[in-house]
Amino acid sequence: MNELELKKLWQATNDRMEERFVINKQNADDISRIKVYSMLGSMKPIKIVVLLLGILWVGIGGIALSSVYVNSFPEANKFFLFSASVQVGLTAIALFVYLYQLITIYQVDITEPIVRTQEKLASLKSSTLWVTRILFLQLPVWTTFWWNETMLTDWSILQWMITLFFTLSSAVIAVWLFVNIKYENRNKKWFQLIFNGNEWTPLMKSMELLEQVEEYKEPNAVS
Amino acid sequence: MKKQKDKLLFESILEQHKGILFKVARAYCADEEDRQDLIQEMMIQIWQSVHKYNDQYKISTWLYRISLNVAISFYRKNSARVRKYTGLNEQLTEMPIDDKSENERRLNLLEQFISELKEIDKALMILYLEDKSHAEIAEILGISVSNTGTKISRIKEQLKIRFSKLKS
Repeated sequence: MNELELKKLWQATNDRMEERFVINKQNADDISRIKVYSMLGSMKPIKIVVLLLGILWVGIGGIALSSVYVNSFPEANKFFLFSASVQVGLTAIALFVYLYQLITIYQVDITEPIVRTQEKLASLKSSTLWVTRILFLQLPVWTTFWWNETMLTDWSILQWMITLFFTLSSAVIAVWLFVNIKYENRNKKWFQLIFNGNEWTPLMKSMELLEQVEEYKEPNAVS
Repeated sequence: MKKQKDKLLFESILEQHKGILFKVARAYCADEEDRQDLIQEMMIQIWQSVHKYNDQYKISTWLYRISLNVAISFYRKNSARVRKYTGLNEQLTEMPIDDKSENERRLNLLEQFISELKEIDKALMILYLEDKSHAEIAEILGISVSNTGTKISRIKEQLKIRFSKLKS
């Protein structure tokens, strides 16, 4: 079958089906009444809830910790205070990156050419990796929250060894993940294991799309 | 006044070029319900962008950019759902009986071929089948005309191999 016949077949089929396709006038009218298509309106409710909880966590945590620093620093458990500060600080950075990403995606001009627009969108979506990397950095502080000064005087060597083992291991894992969670490692098994599941599909698809964009930017690339 | 002008343009775009939305949605969404959602999203994005329409571009070029960009992004968000391929059998009932089975086979094969393409290749294939010039495809995709030619040749080659398997 030659290409002309193929095109005719495609067009004839679509033309026939198109005739039956009717745009709902009421629907079009409703859309034309939308003044501003808000970013929040286009987000899934679960994302809004997570975002609000994150803001609440950082807000309340920030206020509580500031108050301890200002009013009762000498009496406070320094291990808890520093661990909590690192945790809240890293969550705040991750939230900022996520919000920045959401706003920038929302501002991408959808009327621009496909390759350019999809490259922008996929790059921004892939920057979700940054949020994950930052959040993994919190890992070691979750093992130091409960430390206190009595440990220095009352603990045996065995207790210290076990505690330090968990803290050091989580620190090594956190730093390793921070360094290695990147686009270049997307095809590694451990990477796909971490980002396995439906909630990560858009991220993985974005990375696949970036590969396609690269092929389109390179005329000699093998597709 | 401006709002009224935008509304008229929006309605006329939908009326005269609804086929573009339909074809793109059909190529990217096998599921009827998802397809309705995708067309709705395309309409929202067209309405949001209608005030920016610049007549230096053909309406169809501008519309293909929006609908393909929305479809590719929509596909990315929804690809977690089960991907399925549906044939066109039910739409072929108006064909003459003698041609039906042969055309049906060819169309099924073409549809299957399109459904297996990567997202941007799929956009290229739709534009190619719609008989757009290389210059217009280049303008819609944002790549050079020579690059467009190279990509089309590769896809045509893949398509040829697929159809030669059908014959054998």
